[in-house]
Amino acid sequence: MSVTAWLELIVSGLITGGIYALVALGLNLQYGLMRILNIAHGEFLMVGAYLTWLVQTQFGVSPLLMVPVAFIVLMALGVVVHFLCFRRLTATSPNLDIFEARGLMVAFGLMFLVQNFVSWVWGGDLRGYDYLTEPVKMGEVQFAANKLLLFLLALLFAGALIVLMRLTLLGKGVRALMQSPIGAQLMGIDTKKLHPLMFGIGLGLSGIAGALLSMAYTITPYMGQPYTVTALIVITLGGFGSMGGALFGGLLLGVIEALGMHYTNPSLKALLSYAVFITVLLLRPEGLFTRKSRKA
Amino acid sequence: MTSRQLLIRDILVLLAFAGWALALPHYASEFVTAMALTCLMYIALSSSWGLFCGSTRYLSLATSAFFGVGAYTTAILLGTFGWVETIALGAGIALLLAVVMGAAVLHLRGTYFAVLTFGMTELILHAVTYFEKSVTGTVGRVLTVVPDNSVIYLTVLALAVLAVAVSIWVRRTRFGLALMGIGADEQRAQTLGVNSRLVKIAGFALTAAFAGAVGAAMAVRWTYIDPHTVFNPFIGFQTVLITLIGGVLTLWGPLLAAIIFSVLAESLRLQFPQIYLMSLGLMLILCVLYLPGGLASLRWTTFKQWWYETRDWAKDVKRELSGEKEHDKQRQRRREKESYFV
Repeated sequence: MSVTAWLELIVSGLITGGIYALVALGLNLQYGLMRILNIAHGEFLMVGAYLTWLVQTQFGVSPLLMVPVAFIVLMALGVVVHFLCFRRLTATSPNLDIFEARGLMVAFGLMFLVQNFVSWVWGGDLRGYDYLTEPVKMGEVQFAANKLLLFLLALLFAGALIVLMRLTLLGKGVRALMQSPIGAQLMGIDTKKLHPLMFGIGLGLSGIAGALLSMAYTITPYMGQPYTVTALIVITLGGFGSMGGALFGGLLLGVIEALGMHYTNPSLKALLSYAVFITVLLLRPEGLFTRKSRKA
Repeated sequence: MTSRQLLIRDILVLLAFAGWALALPHYASEFVTAMALTCLMYIALSSSWGLFCGSTRYLSLATSAFFGVGAYTTAILLGTFGWVETIALGAGIALLLAVVMGAAVLHLRGTYFAVLTFGMTELILHAVTYFEKSVTGTVGRVLTVVPDNSVIYLTVLALAVLAVAVSIWVRRTRFGLALMGIGADEQRAQTLGVNSRLVKIAGFALTAAFAGAVGAAMAVRWTYIDPHTVFNPFIGFQTVLITLIGGVLTLWGPLLAAIIFSVLAESLRLQFPQIYLMSLGLMLILCVLYLPGGLASLRWTTFKQWWYETRDWAKDVKRELSGEKEHDKQRQRRREKESYFV
């Protein structure tokens, strides 16, 4: 295999990996901070994609402009969902284990609700629009412009989140809460404000991912679930609660999938990612990149 | 009631249900019988699921894996073996799979376990799809020899009755108590001499055997089988939903919820499939939030509790809106200031 083909393969892996990372970051924020394993995460991604598609086809607004709109709308939705469901759940659950199990169930309910709502309103057909479809040549390799844009923006937003978590006071508070909820609360960090906000930001990120995805791929009401599963795989690879791990895990999984598909056969893609997932979860449940061991 | 009276009551209720279900095909229409069949299937699945997952709080999403394995056993073996043997084999293979899977994943707890069982199910689904595509060269299989409808009905009925009977029985044994102990506090149960690893694997295998048998029996209803219908994760989800909404720790909750669900499913699914699934999701959320013990835990006091909560909330809102709260706060502040000066 020539160098160009290798390059093309790896870069296409990285492009899908960028989206995986963005979806996984949002999910990881919710799980790491609040112990809510939001199975409905992919569904909100789909809502973001439908929003972008709807506005683009109805009013001809550029999808690029829809990216921040999707973020804000989904973030507001997230705050509302948190207010309606998870606030009560936190108040009524006797311990964290039970909260986790119940939260998972609520997320399942949300998944059914959102997915079927969209499918009821817009039907189950494939939708899409054309945006920047002409290829871009770089040396000898060429890529579709929309996919490159997608990759760059995904990396940008993922980077922005990581910077936010590393450098600002808000991010410090979030990291403190992840480390020790009780300790952070004793230091005066207000969970009642931070939890809804972070849940909202997590959903907002999935909204961005959806808006970006709709530029390059066709969308259906059922597109969310595979992304949720991939995001779960990614955060298992990177370690629950670790932001850098999620970014790196996402890119890694994208490349693994691209290489694996090239060497074996495309119908093995799902099999491959599940095999990676189960192996990692069984052998290193704390993630590939975490040094300190945390009991699962 | 003493425990003996409870046992007698449970057995009587079970017998009454079984007798009713037995008589149903003779007087009801075909549509109702089909509905009853779905209902019985979910009773068997959710009762056996609650038996292990309810008491130990290990949230397994692998039901559809065992169901699918059972269905495939029927698809491959029904020609060579008899009906009863096939079902027993389906249960046996599912049981073996559960033992292997359980040995690998049952040391993980909580969300990890749930996610991993879901992943395993998908792995099996994709593996079977790939195998069928590349080795046998087909996507699905057609069942040619199919037993009579009444035979299927009786088989599933027997499985449902067996599932409920086993959960009545297990609750009264050491094994059932060990499962409950693991659910309450696993480490303490271990300290008190429960071999938790063995108990968990046995419980998981028991659940899987039922799911496998039900899958083997229900496979013939479809006549055409492909991996995506029989390994459908939705079967697993719905089992979990029914058990949770009915009440995981109760005996009759899953049965009650299964009846409600099948009626809802059959009446709504054909005309408004999305509305059916949406109401499913909404019911699940409401149930987890407001009725964590499930439908079977619904008592007169529950309604009273809701009424009090709503009333308190309304009072609070009223106080907030009338500005009294703000007023109170100011008064409090003033008092604090005064006490400071004194």
